[in-house]
Amino acid sequence: MSQLIFNSNLCTGCRACELACSFVSEGVCGPSQSRVRVVKIDEEGIDVPVGCTHCEDAPCITICPVKAINRHNETEAVLIDHDVCIGCKECLTACPFGAIQYDEIKKIVYKCDLCGGDPECVKWCYTGAIQFPDKISRMVQKKQRQTAIKIAKTGQSSRKLIHR
Amino acid sequence: MPDEKLGGYAGQILRVDMTTRKITKQPLNHEICEQYIGGRGHDAKIIFDEVPPKADPLGPENVLCISTGPITGLLGPTSGRVNAAALSPLTGIYGNSNAGTHWGPELKYAGYDGIIIKGKSKKPFYLYIEDEKVELRDASHLWGKGIFDTVQQLKEECDEEICVAAIGPAAENGVLYGSIIFDYWDATGRTGMGTVMASKGLKAIAVRGTGALKVADTKNYLRIAREGWEAVLNDAGFQTGEHSSLGTAICVNWGNAQGWLPTRNFQESHFENASDISGEAFRDKFSTKETPFPGGRACPSCPNRCKRFGKIESGPYAGTRGNIEFEGIGAFGSKCGINDLEAVFHAFMLTNDYGMDCIAAGNMIATFMELNKHKLLPKNILNGLDLSFGNKEAMIEAVHRIANRTGKLGELGGLGAAKATKKISPEATKYTSSIKGMDTIACDPRVAKGFGFTYAVSSRGSDHLRAHPVFEMIGMPKEIGKELFGSAESTELTKYGGKVNMVLWHENLAAVTDSMGSCRFMHASYYAQYPIPELLYKYGAKRSPDKHRGGKTKNKIPSIKYHEWLSAATGIKYTYEDLLKAGERILMLERAINLRRGVRKKDDTLPLRFFEEPVPKGPAKGEVFDKKIFDRMLKQYYKTRGWDSRQGLIKKSKLKTLGMTDVADKLTKERLTV
Repeated sequence: MSQLIFNSNLCTGCRACELACSFVSEGVCGPSQSRVRVVKIDEEGIDVPVGCTHCEDAPCITICPVKAINRHNETEAVLIDHDVCIGCKECLTACPFGAIQYDEIKKIVYKCDLCGGDPECVKWCYTGAIQFPDKISRMVQKKQRQTAIKIAKTGQSSRKLIHR
Repeated sequence: MPDEKLGGYAGQILRVDMTTRKITKQPLNHEICEQYIGGRGHDAKIIFDEVPPKADPLGPENVLCISTGPITGLLGPTSGRVNAAALSPLTGIYGNSNAGTHWGPELKYAGYDGIIIKGKSKKPFYLYIEDEKVELRDASHLWGKGIFDTVQQLKEECDEEICVAAIGPAAENGVLYGSIIFDYWDATGRTGMGTVMASKGLKAIAVRGTGALKVADTKNYLRIAREGWEAVLNDAGFQTGEHSSLGTAICVNWGNAQGWLPTRNFQESHFENASDISGEAFRDKFSTKETPFPGGRACPSCPNRCKRFGKIESGPYAGTRGNIEFEGIGAFGSKCGINDLEAVFHAFMLTNDYGMDCIAAGNMIATFMELNKHKLLPKNILNGLDLSFGNKEAMIEAVHRIANRTGKLGELGGLGAAKATKKISPEATKYTSSIKGMDTIACDPRVAKGFGFTYAVSSRGSDHLRAHPVFEMIGMPKEIGKELFGSAESTELTKYGGKVNMVLWHENLAAVTDSMGSCRFMHASYYAQYPIPELLYKYGAKRSPDKHRGGKTKNKIPSIKYHEWLSAATGIKYTYEDLLKAGERILMLERAINLRRGVRKKDDTLPLRFFEEPVPKGPAKGEVFDKKIFDRMLKQYYKTRGWDSRQGLIKKSKLKTLGMTDVADKLTKERLTV
């Protein structure tokens, strides 16, 4: 299967992803209940989407003392089993992205579950700042070609282009 | 349904009394929502009910409303608008401005639909809102700071994640067109709402909201929101990617080519150096963001992302940063005859940080420039400053003097062009573009007749956004103009036919979306809303060669159905006709407030220059607004609105038809009905 790929260069900061996520996960519109977050750095005009990348070598899986976090057979999503979870919050601390959150009311940790394999956030992201590519290698190849075309067209060095 | 919670809304209003420093939480009034939706409509009702007719805009009796709508903060085709309203210190009549910003949704997530501020405090405070916690905190250490420093300071002392609405030194110094700036760069710019806020001693409103919003129809909401979203993505104008990649600054080259870019204080309408200060020039020189269609930053839940953020890294204006917008370029660029984009950007960002309306400031300076040209300025006003068209250093110096009220220039400049020229001489007043005390935006009314008519009848003085009838500019199929507005001429920029109907329809819909909390551009820049996509499909007509519209719509494309969207969100059942009626009501309220302030038929007009001086050169050479036709148009407009033809007072019968009996009774007692 696949993973969510986040790209800050493409993010416009609209936060439709947060609203889509909270709506399909919790039935409400509220970024605080979204599994994905867009951090806005307004003084620099930058927006950065941050979320669970369902890491190959997930720190949350490793650290869980009761093995409540596991990888799903088909979707390969990293999932929390709430029946097994004891709420120690070690996973929350272990995640380098802050992708695992804590619900103060339900008193559970929660994270992105890839919507069972059809992530909603991706559907609303019109620039591709969040992608769920069928094949990540193909996505990278596409990027290589796009950059190459830019270089060929303008004759400028690739570094200058990318960091404009 | 008084006890049921409505979907979409947060359900609570904050009332702040700056005299007693008392803060009260009030449940949202459902009746107001059912009649006037929220946001702009809600504020108009509060102002109508609670502000004494003759109140001083800078006194304690004036009420400043800052309101979101039921849609603000929800998923859907734009949901990021917030409204500010009060009596305007600039015009003396109804003041109202709207911003696209993440602050609005944050207020909703904190649990509040709006804030109503009364009274007056000599000591400055800021309002701190963190979910249920609401308190006034000392702001003496913030008073005098520009917007950027204020926001940074508040983030440091409160919380990195807060959203901040602030006023700047311009409002503090009594500039009558002070703005409220949200999150560094988003403005409720016009009519001096910031000046009202400053007069009440309120420096800023910091919000942190961790809650969430429910919708009434959870089952169907996602589908309806998605349909509206796809309507925008399928819109032909949206698909060109130009508005997204250039922002509203697309209008510089585009408007100049159509011949309506005001040049040198509206003496002309075509700027020879427009491309130097265009959206394209900005993108190529300064923009810091590159996306697949190069695009900028977005308002909440908006696919259009027309905020173009830029930074100047070197040169005399190094360090300038912020969002560029068309009106700022028009104000400091073509209106002042300046072709240096860096200087224009710098002047614009200065007004942003000082917290004052770039349109009013630019028009004021352009007026001073023209008066200077004709030697009509008082002797001691310039103090050696060569304030002439094209002098960018003088223009920038003038911005500083106005914001700081330095010298005679600053003193007069802070009043705005209408009041300042009145103080100078009767002759000087001929050189403003003001209607009811408000300056005209960067679109020449002699050329764009629909826009011109809108300015004359707008409820906040000269303003295009009340209607924003871009319909006449984009080569819409003639059949649609005929079907919707009764004349194919409504699709032609310089013609008059069907324009009144066009303005009426746009005004009603705009009042609705301002009150919902959704952005005008989806339905009056793009035309993604019902019934336009349906009509495009019906006629399958090829549109004009104008790049922004093109091709047939062989396939049915979705449309935004605001009535369905609002119904699904709130649970209140609206039809398309219901919504337009709500728009009519809102405009009635605004007219009622204006009548109380003395507005009459004679004020619904254009400055003499636009009736008498034809455009001297450019693509629209020779165009002028025909006064006789204008008078006929006004008669038709009044008839449809239900206002009397003699004075422009409101017909009691029309108010009753709209279900506004309480308003009818009050107004009749005040002798403002017929």
